[in-house]
Amino acid sequence: MLDIEDLKVSYDGQRILNGVDLHLVKGDSMAIIGESGAGKTTLGLSIMGLLKSCSGRVLFDGVDILSLDGKERRKIRGKDISMVFQNVEDALDPLYRVSDQIVEAILVHGGEENEAVYKTRHLLQSVGLDESKGDAYPHQLSGGEKQRVLIAMALANDPEVVILDEPTASLDAINKADITKLLKVAAKDKISLVITHDISTASKLAKTIVVLYAGRVVEMGPTRDLLTNPRHPYTRGLIRSSPNMTTTKDLQGIPGRMAHGVKGCPFHQRCTQKIDICSREVPFLEELDSGRNIACHRGGIVPLLEVSGLEKSFESFRAVDGVDFTLYEGETIALVGESGSGKTTLAKTIIGLIEPDSGDVRLEGEPVCQRDKEFYSRVQMIYQNPKESISHRMNVLEAVREPLDIQKIGKSAERTEKVKRILGEVELPNDEEFLNKYPHQISGGEAQRVAIARALVLDPKLLVADEPTSALDASVQAKILKLLLNLQEKRGLSLLFITHDIAVARKVSDKMAVMLKGKIIEEGPTSQVTNYPIHPYTEMLIEAAPDLSSDSFPEMVKDLNVLESPEEGVALSRGQLIVVK
Amino acid sequence: MHVNFWREVSRNNIGRMGLLLVGIMTALALFAPFLTPYTPTEDAGTTAFAPPSEDHWLGTNDARQDIWTRLLYGARTSLAVGFGVAFLTTFISVLIGGTSAIFGGLYDKFWMRIVDALLAIPSLVIIILVATYLRPNILVMIVLLSVLTWPGGARVFRAQTLSIKERMHVSAAHTFGASWSHILFRHIVPDLGPILVAMMIQDARRAIFMEAGLSFLGISDPSMISWGKMMQFARVFTYLEVWKWWLLPTGMALSLTLIGLSFTGFAMETALDPRLRRNKANFGGD
Repeated sequence: MLDIEDLKVSYDGQRILNGVDLHLVKGDSMAIIGESGAGKTTLGLSIMGLLKSCSGRVLFDGVDILSLDGKERRKIRGKDISMVFQNVEDALDPLYRVSDQIVEAILVHGGEENEAVYKTRHLLQSVGLDESKGDAYPHQLSGGEKQRVLIAMALANDPEVVILDEPTASLDAINKADITKLLKVAAKDKISLVITHDISTASKLAKTIVVLYAGRVVEMGPTRDLLTNPRHPYTRGLIRSSPNMTTTKDLQGIPGRMAHGVKGCPFHQRCTQKIDICSREVPFLEELDSGRNIACHRGGIVPLLEVSGLEKSFESFRAVDGVDFTLYEGETIALVGESGSGKTTLAKTIIGLIEPDSGDVRLEGEPVCQRDKEFYSRVQMIYQNPKESISHRMNVLEAVREPLDIQKIGKSAERTEKVKRILGEVELPNDEEFLNKYPHQISGGEAQRVAIARALVLDPKLLVADEPTSALDASVQAKILKLLLNLQEKRGLSLLFITHDIAVARKVSDKMAVMLKGKIIEEGPTSQVTNYPIHPYTEMLIEAAPDLSSDSFPEMVKDLNVLESPEEGVALSRGQLIVVK
Repeated sequence: MHVNFWREVSRNNIGRMGLLLVGIMTALALFAPFLTPYTPTEDAGTTAFAPPSEDHWLGTNDARQDIWTRLLYGARTSLAVGFGVAFLTTFISVLIGGTSAIFGGLYDKFWMRIVDALLAIPSLVIIILVATYLRPNILVMIVLLSVLTWPGGARVFRAQTLSIKERMHVSAAHTFGASWSHILFRHIVPDLGPILVAMMIQDARRAIFMEAGLSFLGISDPSMISWGKMMQFARVFTYLEVWKWWLLPTGMALSLTLIGLSFTGFAMETALDPRLRRNKANFGGD
């Protein structure tokens, strides 16, 4: 039993841990994740009783470790609670054989020497080290072997709590997998606390994940649930920035830097969905559902656009036939499907270029009734053919200024300043020469950047991108996609990305919705949809998607009608939603 | 669509001719006070019906007024009516045609039925009737002619707007929250500039002709100096030699103005129509 209550730690007056409450029972495994400097290691050290300036309580089997004196703490340390330290190189004494160091760890807490030696041999074996390695000095061992020795040392007295501080940080992938497996077995019937910035290690070793930010817990929940469906913007940022084989979207970072001692929500300076209250008050950690806890004034990542039951027919042709989806703040949904599947009609209906027959569109929780200037300051669109979306009678300055002119934002000079700033943001020159160019004088990629600048100059929250790169060649397309991802990272932009190219969609989207004949037939996290498609049409799209192998030709289903479902039903499978026969 | 219409028209021989004629007429009208020592209404001559001389280039009329002077001031009336009607008609056409196309629906149906009705009514009869009653001066004449000539232009402009409003830059402006006036005057009118100019030239030509006709029939403000009225008065004295320097130059001035406008309009059309542009060698271009 390990209870941490309102733990606060300061170094030189700087609050590093700011009221952490955790509750662990035997058999629990918990990972503490967060960027470096979040206070993860401090948390581990304070549980070990290694820090002086702590307040709050750390109850181990009902005894508050923080109230014990040095001698009593030492009794617990290494025996009941042990820790595998972060820096493998420094944790072993170079002058002693590793087996002697493990024996010493046992003898400190009493016992027979012979028994200790025997136990050490056994321990080394159990962490996968040859007996002969016990006679080696630390410098004769590899990093992985040293890590194994440290683990053996931590397990030497069969402790109840094991704290693993970055147990695999400096290891190569193979050793990492090995050690992870080892730790998983070793920590089975103990309380294990894994401190790591590596989400993949956390996901393998822990049943629960705690996200620590600037000394506060911002999100906590069951591992799988938290990783597939992060609710706090910071958690999502962490997952997006960690390379892994599960997600397919390009890596994205989190804007800004972590700072301690920030007033209000610790994350608010880097948060893209902050509101007034975030800079004033600290959000409490509240339980949402099924063990998920989150500290956010907005209740986690907010749904920005909610579409339900949207329908649009052109005479007897049903272009959009009952579409529902939700797009969250800072998220990308890719709408894929062949031409004629109703993607563009759906986009135009949302943006208001086409009136829907029925259905609901909600923006930030409010139903959209009238698409006025205010609506268009929050929702913007970029078009397939950038040069056509800019009047050929307008130069770059006039084109980018147009939205500001229409919305009557700022004075003339301010508008021009803003245009220059936004052009910088989309990585275009903002000198006089470029500002005076007309659409036919710039390249397709530049024109699309201008179109993006036009859309962004009003600071929208949602960008509807209708085939934004299909008219561009591959290298320019790559740059534009990167730009969109960067802008999303920086501004928390939500993207409704419409494309027929599932390969492009895979790289830029968090979620994917496959459209066929006006319906969304499959929907889910992009990696799930592309790796394990369920609907035959999705499979077909993936088959037909570009790859670099020369010997496979996709088998096409000629008759789309075989894909039509005679009876419609909705099945939930692996988190994906599809319409089945 | 980047065609320099000014260059196209001024390179075309017919266009050049037209522009030259219109230019001369405009200059004559503008600089009238500098081109004659008399005013159009003063009793300037020694005798009535004096033949052309050094003092009176085109002689004098029955009221001993200098005919050259009256011709110059008559040009002012003609061109004022012509350009006035052109601008006013086009403005109404753009407004009604443009908004009908942009809004569509009931609004569009309403205005298009009005247009149909106005096109179906023989406007000349109405103008004659109304003008007889009103005895219009220049301003009333401009309004009267405009009110009856805008429907044709409105229909053309509506059709053009319908096709242009589907262009992406118009959609884009719409999604910035643009009002109809922004879309109409910043996106549609500039794109239809050349067509508008062609429409204006047509309107001006017709208005000048109508004004002259109405004046000739004697149904305009009596104090107005107009070529039509000059011809009507001159016609009375055709038994005298005087028609040679009274009726003929006036008719010529009117004809040349109309020809000038027609030529300019024709060159404009040649530049606008891609099929005609390709074959422009056949049309006296260089």
